[in-house]
Amino acid sequence: MLPLAGVRVLDFTWVVAGPVATRILADLGADVIKVERRNAMDFGDRRGGLSGTLMRGKRSVVLDVNRPRGLELARRLAAVSDVVIDNFSARVMSNLGLAYEDLCRLKPDVICVRMTGFGLTGPDRDHVSYGPTLQALTGYTLLMAEPSGPPAGFGYSYSDLAGGNLGALAVLAALWHRRRTGRGQLVDLAQLEAVASLLGPTLLARALDGGTSAPVGNASQEEPGAPHGVYPCAGDDRWLAITVFSDDDWTRFAHALGDPEWTTRFGTRAARIEHSAELDALVAAWTRTRVAEEAMAVLQTAGVAAGVVANAEDVCARDPQLAARGHFVDVPTPEGRTVRIDGPPFVLSETPARVGGPGPLLGEHTDEVLGELLGLRSEEIAELRAVGAVG
Amino acid sequence: MAGALAGLRILDLADQTGALAGKLLADLGADVVLVEPPGGGRLRAIPPFWQGLPHPERSLFFWFYNTSKRGITLDITRRAGAALLRRLAGDADVLIETEPPGRLAALGCGPDALRATNPRLTVASITPFGQRGPYRDWRGSDTVAEAMGGMLFVNGHKDGPPLRALGLQAYHQAGVFAAVGVLAALFAREQTGRGQDVDVSLQAAVAAALEHVPGLWHQHGTAATRQGTLHWTRYFRVGRCLDGWVMHCTVGDWTSLVEWVKADGMAADLGDPAWEDVRHRATGAEHLFDVLDAWAARYTVEELVSGAQLRRIPYAAVRAPEALLRDPHLADRSFFVPIEHPELGLTVPYPGPPFHLTDAPWRIARRPPLLGEHNAEVYGRIGVADAELATLRQEGIV
Repeated sequence: MLPLAGVRVLDFTWVVAGPVATRILADLGADVIKVERRNAMDFGDRRGGLSGTLMRGKRSVVLDVNRPRGLELARRLAAVSDVVIDNFSARVMSNLGLAYEDLCRLKPDVICVRMTGFGLTGPDRDHVSYGPTLQALTGYTLLMAEPSGPPAGFGYSYSDLAGGNLGALAVLAALWHRRRTGRGQLVDLAQLEAVASLLGPTLLARALDGGTSAPVGNASQEEPGAPHGVYPCAGDDRWLAITVFSDDDWTRFAHALGDPEWTTRFGTRAARIEHSAELDALVAAWTRTRVAEEAMAVLQTAGVAAGVVANAEDVCARDPQLAARGHFVDVPTPEGRTVRIDGPPFVLSETPARVGGPGPLLGEHTDEVLGELLGLRSEEIAELRAVGAVG
Repeated sequence: MAGALAGLRILDLADQTGALAGKLLADLGADVVLVEPPGGGRLRAIPPFWQGLPHPERSLFFWFYNTSKRGITLDITRRAGAALLRRLAGDADVLIETEPPGRLAALGCGPDALRATNPRLTVASITPFGQRGPYRDWRGSDTVAEAMGGMLFVNGHKDGPPLRALGLQAYHQAGVFAAVGVLAALFAREQTGRGQDVDVSLQAAVAAALEHVPGLWHQHGTAATRQGTLHWTRYFRVGRCLDGWVMHCTVGDWTSLVEWVKADGMAADLGDPAWEDVRHRATGAEHLFDVLDAWAARYTVEELVSGAQLRRIPYAAVRAPEALLRDPHLADRSFFVPIEHPELGLTVPYPGPPFHLTDAPWRIARRPPLLGEHNAEVYGRIGVADAELATLRQEGIV
């Protein structure tokens, strides 16, 4: 039995942040019904790849909610769902008559999750955003840079992952509350706030010291320490991340290198931090002639935190640890293909989450869902399709 | 109003690698008891410190991750300490820990030992690489996890080194997944009556937060690379205004954007209808953003962003985190939550909720605990008398 067996999620989400939230719910056994438009945007192959990873295990129903009969079907599906979730701008669902107050009339204990960019209140509530713009507003883009270097930021929309994963937590918390009290509720998740809440102690420090943040490159943001950062290895664009905090860490590190004479100058943490530029150059001279995986193994065998800066191939095809965890899974499709996609991000020992299936084709489950949940007969569905209300 | 998770009892033995999990659950209403070694946990020694003075009660790093928790001290490496932990776990719903795999079991406090007396206990373990596999005993850090999980490689400029994230995002994703996993285990317990183990790996948590990187590899065999601020979709890039940086976006209302640039006489070839095709805008992104950069250089950031948002074009200022403290929108939503630290005569504006639950509001129930602040009440609850507690204190176990 899966943890969310029996929970139904009506999923209006699109692009990345919303689907990230609902894919976790699907992995945990919820029946996630994705309501899509006929010309829904996706990222190529819907079964696998990025789209499949985002839509794994969900059912796809195509409804034209801009037509009265399509909207009526959406409302009837909402009436038999536990959770209704979207990540549109604030006014979209209200304009459709699918605001929380409207949904409550259909199902009084509904959990309505609105994953907007800026939230349902406040002067910027109607601003439009994407992951990169939210990362810019919250400081990630400016501060992820070399010291005094121009902004670099994330190479992708981390904000979508941050907001999506926290969205899944919000749904579980609201479901837990409903199980205890019998009450549903409105969840107002502003992706701006979600990603800001993950800035960590930096924001708290600025709130108290009134100071100015500056980029620190790859220096430690937890315990102070050196060497700390990424070091070039043999080959093209190969790097090794190394973390040395304590003097014990340093002793093991120096020993792994064969205790060369120069290491004696860096015996204390204070000395290592003060002369970190010089130390970085010496460490880089050691790594530069070595294969990243081999240097990693040498250091880890000595008890030093070190890891290859993994590219896509390393992560997906070469890393024995992720493979042993079954992090990526091969999923059969109804067409007889096999697609490889991300599996659940954590392991439960007794009731493990699992990938319930590949990504659905657009509208693959329209007939099945309308028949099973609303009792529509095939002639009725055909007639609705003929007038464009369903796809 | 009680939080959504009111009534849940959680023991939190996590260090910084897993501290967010307990905070997320505590701010949602769970009773989370932080268990620290008698000298204080590692977080208390991590800067920055209030007024720059290193002290266990002044670490802002500790403060951030420990809101709403109560705190006790306990040396679990001593036999009597391990016995106390087993007693504490006797009526807990959840234990969160970040010890190397097998270490708690070696102390007689592994999940199986704890569940022998409390079968309903869920144990969430956050470790660098997880509980199984060839790297399970390897060491980690946030940077090493970001590296091996694949996040670091794609951040940074084309010709520069890979760049790590701002904030400890490997720890943060692991914390979120641990909190999600804990609640999933609690839902399963409703059906089975039994607790279970939640195994969270820092590396896998990062790999699960990569967005396009694995998808493009599995689908096309292409390995994503660093491209500076040019987003992989090629619809976003940072540009320079008169007084700062701005994030351009070419997937909003393109017609409005071009009309605006044209009116300023800076559109170059952007009026060509070929650019109306969003795929063409991706292909020609470098040229497109060069033209937009030349145009943006005439404006202040504020002029450009407000003009864009009026036209429904998703532009944004590239700001420092401290800009959030002065943001009228966040102020209107009361994002920062003032919490008293009476010992320091200080009111601390804590960064606020990741989301608002309207019927069971997120809140900071209390300031982070002083070292051992709740020893008497927590140990009292499991029947440790004052005299016994005094002895334990004398022996350095509490």
